[in-house]
Amino acid sequence: MNTLIILVLLLLGAYFVAVLENWISKGRFQLGAPLFAAVAFLGRESFIPRKPDQLFYEVGPVLLLLSAILAAAVIPLTPDLIITDLATGALFINAALVYVLVALLMAGWGPDGAYSMIGGWRFLGQLIAYAMLIVMPITAVAMRAESLLTTQIVVSQAELWNIVYQPLGFVLFFIASMALAFLPPFDMMIAKGELAGGVESEYSGMRLAIFRLGRLVLIITLAAATVVFYLGGWQGLPGIGLPPWAWSAIKILLVTAAMLLIGRYIPRIREAHLLSWCWIFGIPLALLNIFIVGVLVLEFP
Amino acid sequence: MSSLQQYGLLLALVVGTVGFILSIYAIARTFGKARPEPGKDVPATAGQLSREPVWVRYHARYYGYALLFLAFDMEMAYMYPWAVVYKQVGIVALLDMGVFLAILFLGLLYGWSQGALRRQ
Repeated sequence: MNTLIILVLLLLGAYFVAVLENWISKGRFQLGAPLFAAVAFLGRESFIPRKPDQLFYEVGPVLLLLSAILAAAVIPLTPDLIITDLATGALFINAALVYVLVALLMAGWGPDGAYSMIGGWRFLGQLIAYAMLIVMPITAVAMRAESLLTTQIVVSQAELWNIVYQPLGFVLFFIASMALAFLPPFDMMIAKGELAGGVESEYSGMRLAIFRLGRLVLIITLAAATVVFYLGGWQGLPGIGLPPWAWSAIKILLVTAAMLLIGRYIPRIREAHLLSWCWIFGIPLALLNIFIVGVLVLEFP
Repeated sequence: MSSLQQYGLLLALVVGTVGFILSIYAIARTFGKARPEPGKDVPATAGQLSREPVWVRYHARYYGYALLFLAFDMEMAYMYPWAVVYKQVGIVALLDMGVFLAILFLGLLYGWSQGALRRQ
């Protein structure tokens, strides 16, 4: 039952992201637009390039959606509303999200087109930049919670949310998760103005629709993960009596909106620059964050 | 739920998602096939039909980072179990991991001084 509820909520979240992205990036607020676009995709032609790597071409979009859904499976929305409370939850999110890279590389390699190929390689470079900044802040979160259970991580923030306890980790994780979801400042691999769609360029019809759905689900999943790790999950502010699910929903929607809004005001970042910034500044800062949290955990448990 | 059941549920989630996607493909298929037209299935490059295959060797210009990434990624595999027992073990755990991380960090600094942290 929980599984069904969460899957429906994920779809609703993806719908919300689509509406919001349209509003923020194009200035058009149309509640029905994603629905019409989805119906229109049904009627579109879905042609396959001349000499594709058939397996990679077909698996790419499916794997993108799968990795986003699997990562969402260990994210709690309320104490009970979670698909599986895996004992290795925080690690499982990483494991699932690494397949985003595999999906984009497969989708880039598959159609044998230059634009999609370059898009795929760009994302590989981007992974080497952001990956450490996803895992290192999560380690610091697990140090405080003494557990990899995602529900336990939320409970550990009962007194003080992690965004106050470890603000450095929050900033690094937020930026890295934007790079992981290839949101605007980091969207060199699928940007329309860069490589005519990059990884998306050789996909059409329903396969493209699944690819885009996977991207939307990925964005909402990462926003939910940010809320669980840093914003206290379902826990509310004292004095405001809302139910836990409402707190989760409000926080996730706010984080999504922040991710989309920030991208609007920053020019696109090449993966070469991102690599040097992440390795020269990001990783020393992430190690510093682990050290600070280590001291804090021992001094003020 | 036992952990076996949990992984079973995750497997069911994978199978269900693939089934959902296949059924959507099937629905789209009932609207008709793509019409065969000349040049339509050729990948485009800069407005022209791409004649040559692109499956060739590329220069991975970030290989310096990639090698460092391997070292750090291995280290992260040890960090998770360490993070879980950190509070129990206390200051000794901080020192143990501190020495390990300091050596790795020196490696990062050495790599930087040798020009690994730039586009090759």
